[in-house]
Amino acid sequence: MKQAPTLSSAFLHPVCDRLPEPLLALRKQRASTLVDMPMPTRKTENWKYSAKYLKLDDEMAISLPNEGKTGNSLAVPGYKVVFINGVMVPEASEFPDMDGIAIKRFGDLTTDEASALSLQLGSTLDPKRTQFAHLNGARFEDGLLIRLKPGAVLDQPLFIIHETWGDAPGSAYPRIFVDAGANSQMTLVEEYISSGDASLLANTVTEFDLAHGANITSIRLNMEGENVQHIGATGVVQQRSSRFESHCVGFGGPLRRHDLQVRLEGEGGECKLNGVVVTQGKQHYDNHTCIDHVAAHCNSEETYRNIAADKSHAVFNGRIHIHPDAQKSNADMNNKNLLLNSGAEIDTKPELEIYADDVKCAHGATIGQLDEISLFYLVSRGIGRRQANVLLTMAFINELVEQIPVEAVRETAQMRLNEFFEQTFQEA
Amino acid sequence: MLSIKNLHASVEDKEILKGINLEIKAGEVHAIMGPNGSGKSTLSQVLAGNEAFEVTSGEVTLNGENLLDLETEERAREGIFLAFQYPVEIPGVSNLQFLRTAVNAMRQHRGEEEMNAAEFMKLAREVSKQVDLDPSFLKRGVNEGFSGGEKKRNEILQALLLQPKLAILDETDSGLDIDALKIVSDGVNALRSEDRAILMVTHYQRLLNHIVPDYVHVLAGGRIIKSGGRELALELEEKGYGWLGIKDEEEASN
Repeated sequence: MKQAPTLSSAFLHPVCDRLPEPLLALRKQRASTLVDMPMPTRKTENWKYSAKYLKLDDEMAISLPNEGKTGNSLAVPGYKVVFINGVMVPEASEFPDMDGIAIKRFGDLTTDEASALSLQLGSTLDPKRTQFAHLNGARFEDGLLIRLKPGAVLDQPLFIIHETWGDAPGSAYPRIFVDAGANSQMTLVEEYISSGDASLLANTVTEFDLAHGANITSIRLNMEGENVQHIGATGVVQQRSSRFESHCVGFGGPLRRHDLQVRLEGEGGECKLNGVVVTQGKQHYDNHTCIDHVAAHCNSEETYRNIAADKSHAVFNGRIHIHPDAQKSNADMNNKNLLLNSGAEIDTKPELEIYADDVKCAHGATIGQLDEISLFYLVSRGIGRRQANVLLTMAFINELVEQIPVEAVRETAQMRLNEFFEQTFQEA
Repeated sequence: MLSIKNLHASVEDKEILKGINLEIKAGEVHAIMGPNGSGKSTLSQVLAGNEAFEVTSGEVTLNGENLLDLETEERAREGIFLAFQYPVEIPGVSNLQFLRTAVNAMRQHRGEEEMNAAEFMKLAREVSKQVDLDPSFLKRGVNEGFSGGEKKRNEILQALLLQPKLAILDETDSGLDIDALKIVSDGVNALRSEDRAILMVTHYQRLLNHIVPDYVHVLAGGRIIKSGGRELALELEEKGYGWLGIKDEEEASN
């Protein structure tokens, strides 16, 4: 009998071991769990719509080279850390030098620190729903621990540029952990870019552990190229009265998957998750979000917009789980979709599990097309059809883009989205 | 300037315009009056190029050029402007961005340089004052949450910015109170010039007290059944549409 492929059979390759012992042990443990973890197929519930885009082969299992060009030098108004193929490039990075804020590469941690971190890594994610976070756990070669002491406030955003590049097929496994002490604050901007044209996989995990009163903003721009499959996970755990805000802007690709999981563990916690996805050609993008209301009196507000053109495919799966003790939960989830062509496909699925009886939980999803009357109004003022289409399409997501709190990122996103839509409507 | 000959148009296979003939010269102000369903709005939409309406026969030229061959945006660039009866709300596109894009599309068409954001802001603020719209309306989404009167003033604001050759005003007086009517009329009167024509489409004659037309036409059942000077509108006001043998709206539209 032929055995079904597992994540391990395809992806367990030796990797460099310049990590402290406790993290090597963790990696080994994660690798052992992969043996029983099947490669997702269309029968795998959380990969139902996307398994067909997953094209991983043995060649891609090879870790991409650690040293490489730091080709991209995005101007960054803040602190900057550059990761290439999952490994930090110190000479291209500038850490903040502030009291209360410690940023360390995994390789530079003491055994004690690494030991503590090994208990934290992966703790924010639900292992049943994030198979590929395990793969990252088995394969990461470097990583960044950002530790904010109680009350520490990072004065400027910290940018992490994740670049994946390769002349030959391979994969990269960047890993970030933010340990936010009580009442600390920071904004983390992650930009995923790529170069080269070999078949590549970026398998990323970013985690946030928010102590009480912490206030963290995460901004994520996914702008990798057509040669990169991206499977990323973001895990968040929030204690009492903490606040987490996320802004994700994703451009489609051959395979794009982002799992965002937030667990509200302390009373008075609040999260706000915004997401924008655009796809064209034969591109794909799949957002799976999951908000666990574990404690009472928490608010979650989630707004995602997808725009799919040509024969592309966008997926939104939004899960809200209200646990028995989470009375007075207030959850609001909204997903609006714009189909630009009849050949495009959007799948949207709310999943609500509510085990408490005194909660407010609202959800809504719509799928629509560009409004002909609005288009007529714009062209009747002399505006060209292509430009009118771009304006109306931008209008569908502007409300979310405008909420991105870092001006430079907002402008980059606006510019890239505009370029994207001009390409979408070039025939019009 | 505008010449309409035997224009027939249908929507969803139903013929609405049944042979319109109309000549408008530069500098003239024409009013088209008629009961609901007579085809007034259809005529406006057809001239602006709304593809929901199909022209089945006839000819329309603007300064000798065949208008019906042009796309909506090309008509606008040639100088056609339609003030909508129901201006469209477009959340997510700021009024300022919309107006600047339109003005620059026109300038580009005329081979002029585009206006930068600062220049345009200055111009837009001035013109806003002219129609008594607070400049804060420039930052809002296009017509988003505007009252009926604010929407109509925003239409006139666009006309003043775009400086069309032919401005078509579709029921621009509807939904306006006396003060707003005065502001809108002042805006339209500011548009009057020797090289510009204005075509007003209206159900009531009260707008014509403020914007005095040179010619008045009565549209019924898809045809112009009577034309005259300003006095025709007053006569209609006094005697009602029944005077011309138009019995009711149902009949007028059939």
